[in-house]
Amino acid sequence: MNCQELWTAMTDKADAECARHLEECPACAARMERQRLLIASLRTVAAEWRSMEAPARVEAALVAAYRAQGGVRAPARRQWWLPVLSWAAAAAAMFALGVFLVRDRQPRAESAPAHRTAPAGLEWASLDWSAGADAHGDATGYDNDFIPLPNAQRVGPDEEVNLVRVEVPPSALLALGFVERADRAGPVQADVMLGSDGLARAVRFVDE
Amino acid sequence: MAQHAAETDDELLMRLRSGDEEAFVALYRRRQGAIYRFAMHMSGSPAAAEDVTQDVFLVLMREECGYDPERGTLSGYLFGIARKLVLRGLERGRSDVALEPDNDESLPPELAVEDDPLVDLTRREGIEALRRAVQALPRRYREVVVLCDLEELDYADAALALGCPIGTVRSRLHRARALLLEKLSQERRPRPGMGALKPLRCVI
Repeated sequence: MNCQELWTAMTDKADAECARHLEECPACAARMERQRLLIASLRTVAAEWRSMEAPARVEAALVAAYRAQGGVRAPARRQWWLPVLSWAAAAAAMFALGVFLVRDRQPRAESAPAHRTAPAGLEWASLDWSAGADAHGDATGYDNDFIPLPNAQRVGPDEEVNLVRVEVPPSALLALGFVERADRAGPVQADVMLGSDGLARAVRFVDE
Repeated sequence: MAQHAAETDDELLMRLRSGDEEAFVALYRRRQGAIYRFAMHMSGSPAAAEDVTQDVFLVLMREECGYDPERGTLSGYLFGIARKLVLRGLERGRSDVALEPDNDESLPPELAVEDDPLVDLTRREGIEALRRAVQALPRRYREVVVLCDLEELDYADAALALGCPIGTVRSRLHRARALLLEKLSQERRPRPGMGALKPLRCVI
């Protein structure tokens, strides 16, 4: 072992090889001694600082917070909703991903076949929605089967829309307020109407 | 409260999770000093250290705090939380006592000096100089010195707190100590010409 190897592998444990080198190398031995003295001095500094503690008001504030929340609730009492929350988050992420994927495409009627090569699970249709509304819709611009999503914009009279078919898990149905449908086992197929801005406007369940 | 003295941190944590306020207070009193001092050393600000200490134990109150006994001790975990909070505070522009840039990877090995600054460390002013030198270390070296040399954490807990391998803790600590010695030397002899000193060489 040379000096470089000694200080590269330097740890608190002094193995036999390190000890032998220190016996043979006065420079490294002196350096080691300086380190020992430094560490001892740091311990002196530490001892002086040992009495330093957080002010009492910190403990008082924490105890008040602990009491206010009733301690820490046992895991078993809170875990029931964690899976629901996880699934809802996953469903929301899937939905957002779907919207993101179709947002910039805005396919026209003649280009619809190209979109049929989209990944499985997404079935595309493109139509002139204003015509459809005239033929089948009501005064709101939606087909009777479509349910407007909360906080979504209305479809304009000349706005071109897209439909995307998705599988909606029960947790996402719950999040959207469709409690009765969420009670069914398994995911539900639905057509989501996307406006020209790529945002979801309404949903139609297709498994009825 | 004395009944908790023999209990481990993990046992106290289990009790506080079941709503035992005394266990919470006992655990707080056992660990708050070290957390406060660490935050104080790192931030240089009593107000920041107070905030960090409070936030660390607020995190511990949460059921999903993320502590895993299989990954390390509660002490190491608490220091890790404190460190993140301190760094967040520093990033927001709170006080940082580091006097040098935090990019000192090319630190030279310990210099051979003619008068040993460590001789002074046995005196009061020497201790003060050492304290200043610690606070002037770049952050990555200061935190490892505070954890390992001042709070006497073992390397495993320090690695958990710093989020790095144990080997990194060792090498940073080694560099930090060398840098401390250099700073002490410079403080003791602040005359020009330090750069002319040659590193001590060993021919073996």
